[in-house]
Amino acid sequence: MWKYVLKRIGLALLTAFIVLSLTYILIRMLPAQKFVGTPAQQTAYYDHEVTMGYMYKSETPVEGGELVDKVTYEDYSVVYYYKMPVMVQYFSWLGNIITRWDWGRSVSIQPNVDVTVILGTRLATSMKLNVISIFTSLPLGIGLGIWAALKKNKMTDHIISTVVMILIALPGFVLFTFLLLAFCYNGSLPTQWPNPTDPTSWKAAGYVLPIICLSLGSICGYCRFVRAELCEVMESEYLLLARTKGLTRGQAIVRHALKNAMVPIFPSILAEFLGIMGGSTILERLYGIPGIGDLFVRSMNAASPDYNVLFVDMAIFTTFGLLAGVLLDMSYGFIDPRIRMGAR
Amino acid sequence: MDKKQFEQYNSIPKEKFTFATQGEMIHDKKLDTKAVSHAKDSFRRFCKNKASVVAAIILGIIILLAIFGPVVTGADIDRVSVREQFLEPKLFEAGTGFWDGTKKYTNVIYDTEGKVPAGFYAPAVMNLVVDEEPTAVNMASPFGKGGFVMFENQMAVEDDTPDDGEDDEDVVTTVLTSSTLSSDTFYVSASGNYMVNIALGDTNGINEGQLGQFRIYLKNGDDIILLKSWSTDYTSVALNLSGALQAKGIEEIADARLVFELKSAADTYSYLLIESCVFTANASETEAHLARLEKIGFTDATEMVLRAKDGLGVFPEGYWSCVGRKGVYASIVYYCSFTFDTYAAVYDQTEVVYAKSDMDYFESMGWCTYNPDIGPESFEKLSDDCPIESIVSQKVNSRTGELLEFTAMSYRYKQMGYKKMPKFIFGTDSSGVDVFSRMFAGLRTSLVLGVATFAFCFLFGLVWGSISGYFGGIVDLSMERFCDILGGVPWLVVMTLCILHLGNNFFTFFLALCMTGWMGTAGLTRTQFYRFKGMEHVLAARTLGARDVRLIFKHILPNSLGTIITSSVLMIPSVIYSEATLAYLNLGLQGVTSFGVMLANNQQYLQSHSYLIIIPSVVMALMMISFNLFGNGLRDAVNPTLKGSEG
Repeated sequence: MWKYVLKRIGLALLTAFIVLSLTYILIRMLPAQKFVGTPAQQTAYYDHEVTMGYMYKSETPVEGGELVDKVTYEDYSVVYYYKMPVMVQYFSWLGNIITRWDWGRSVSIQPNVDVTVILGTRLATSMKLNVISIFTSLPLGIGLGIWAALKKNKMTDHIISTVVMILIALPGFVLFTFLLLAFCYNGSLPTQWPNPTDPTSWKAAGYVLPIICLSLGSICGYCRFVRAELCEVMESEYLLLARTKGLTRGQAIVRHALKNAMVPIFPSILAEFLGIMGGSTILERLYGIPGIGDLFVRSMNAASPDYNVLFVDMAIFTTFGLLAGVLLDMSYGFIDPRIRMGAR
Repeated sequence: MDKKQFEQYNSIPKEKFTFATQGEMIHDKKLDTKAVSHAKDSFRRFCKNKASVVAAIILGIIILLAIFGPVVTGADIDRVSVREQFLEPKLFEAGTGFWDGTKKYTNVIYDTEGKVPAGFYAPAVMNLVVDEEPTAVNMASPFGKGGFVMFENQMAVEDDTPDDGEDDEDVVTTVLTSSTLSSDTFYVSASGNYMVNIALGDTNGINEGQLGQFRIYLKNGDDIILLKSWSTDYTSVALNLSGALQAKGIEEIADARLVFELKSAADTYSYLLIESCVFTANASETEAHLARLEKIGFTDATEMVLRAKDGLGVFPEGYWSCVGRKGVYASIVYYCSFTFDTYAAVYDQTEVVYAKSDMDYFESMGWCTYNPDIGPESFEKLSDDCPIESIVSQKVNSRTGELLEFTAMSYRYKQMGYKKMPKFIFGTDSSGVDVFSRMFAGLRTSLVLGVATFAFCFLFGLVWGSISGYFGGIVDLSMERFCDILGGVPWLVVMTLCILHLGNNFFTFFLALCMTGWMGTAGLTRTQFYRFKGMEHVLAARTLGARDVRLIFKHILPNSLGTIITSSVLMIPSVIYSEATLAYLNLGLQGVTSFGVMLANNQQYLQSHSYLIIIPSVVMALMMISFNLFGNGLRDAVNPTLKGSEG
């Protein structure tokens, strides 16, 4: 089994490596972004790029070189910065990642700040939101699912199923818009992510709408999943046996049905934990939440794209996506003894 | 009941019990019932699922509207007509109260002189209700009256640190200065009995500030003639200017200024409330001087605060300049609420000047008759084609009495080229374009994108999955690994890279969506092939010498095609969703009208013109829900294993 696990992780890492390499090369093939600022800031940024091996500088214009920018100092001396060939940059990048874990610096979002630092602060906000929304959606989703399954083909079930069906089909931004109209414009909730200077109660209120938006989807997902699983288990013969040997309905459901129904649900929760990271991009954009999704959009800004930030953000999305997939596949094997991992 | 029903069977005579097929020889017999094909059976079972049928109908209507809607309305969606922007949705006549092109306004300042809500076109205002009690507002409105000049000494200076994207706390430093409010220059003489009557307000605690210590003096160039030393007595005060001059031994000052000074308080900010300030002097003084005094003084604080630079940047006579801040406290305004007919405001009758030749033309067309000798009342409208409703005045040549030109009332929509009063059932957007046409034209683009992507991905995925699933082994393994790698890239990343490299256009979107879209179909096809390729009928065909191509296309694919198609159809709504998502992320399709771009552009009007976002959102939601229901119904219907399970 461990062999299989290692193999899966190795494969995921290989995939990540290939994908990131391709992404890196494709991004570096684009015209490099100029650094706008004072000559001192420009020099700091470009010299860092030079030490990283992505550019080279020259006091005189180089024939045939791909010019990034020329910095003119106060004493009218000029330094030209040129782009290295893409593949040279790629190998330098690999070296920088492995030896120094250096992912470059930001050009325009937070000039001259290490992109990992920017991402770190952003990631915390996104994580906080997603963790809270998972903890709210989990009990609600599973609870509703159980309720619907127990009242199968009754009014309760029909209502729950219909609402779940509608909410699943509804695009996230439409849902967000309707919630905004319903709750925010009368002043009871903030219409934008609160500023750090706002009072604590208002800041807390700022979490309400994003969490509802993020968790409604998962609630419906869990609910539908749990209902389907539980309905299937409820018709199984071992449950009938449990009842005939004298267990009450409650005992039979809790001890037998629920335990088995949870087997396929648990892995999906784990995967959701990582998968949700990329899902909130629109929400972060619309609500102005300073998270990684918002960062992604900002770094794509047509006027001043910030490719270093963009690349790290893409790397995060890709890695989380791949990890979620591996985690999902493996957790099945750990939880359900009937599934043998790596079996042919 | 039940017993009665079966009573007849209680005594069946013995002869009736005979074998139905006794003595018959059955070798082979065709079924009496008609054979039901798979498609027919699927359709019958689909029809049993009521929700799916309703969804299919809604979907059909939306698609038909997307194809024909913009053609039927004939609206030009690229034309910008700012005058017609933000017309509310209108289906019924104005005044019915629902979906009638009107907008409700509350708490709008009422123009008591013009008898109309401030800034609104009077004939379009309906159900006007003006508050009986006036409201005191701390804002200078041209329609406000009275109140106090609130003269403050707080100057908030905002620290302008560059936005570093992080938790940026703007540091606000408050600089408290001693501040002054000084009048325009005026003439004052010792002999003219110049007086000023000042009324002050004594309301404390406004905006957590307090009334400050003040003094009043006359300013003569840089010299100061004190009229009232530091005081906290906020009552009316009459100051004798001439007396103060006499005391100083000054004969006259040509350009004196009256100055209020507010002492700077150390911590809290302070203010002074001035209700009125009236100058008086002997009537024997020169008229120019008296007029100047009248201009400078004020009895209406709101009016005083509104004295501002004109279009050329010149201050008016009587302007009070201020070091600090001046505003209005408790200005009296009336609020009103009303319903506003947005259509009437845009398309109503207006006065237009026509030449005589126009009238000749109208008369020759038989639209109207008019006799210039009798005058405007002789105008008679004969046809609806006539652009004129009535004539207001005419201008004749005084010598010959011949008609030169005339002024007539005419509906503005006729001037704009409409035959009758326009009616936009979903309203118009910020550039005056019909939302209905714009939305369905956009939906058409999105649908085309969706269908094109679906067609390509389906075909490509089918071929890929067939090869992968049929041959298995090393071929399958390498193809799977390829999918793993490509599938590992989030679609947003693929999309972004494509847009960055190839520009933002329809083809890029198509390409990027195709690059990631086909893997779903391929995976499904592969599983289906694994399911069917080991079956006996395939083995039989193989032993009879069927080749790979025949096995794939004749024996395996037809079995699984239904499942694959129905699952892949859901790609169409997901493409529309993806496109809208990208539009919200500022990466939307450019150069083409698309649904998502329209939605994203209208997001900024969510609060002010919410119909612009609600209506497309509802259509989007309806379409998504319908697509899902329809897709699920179809999947269940074509799945032969579910036959008979729905009961």
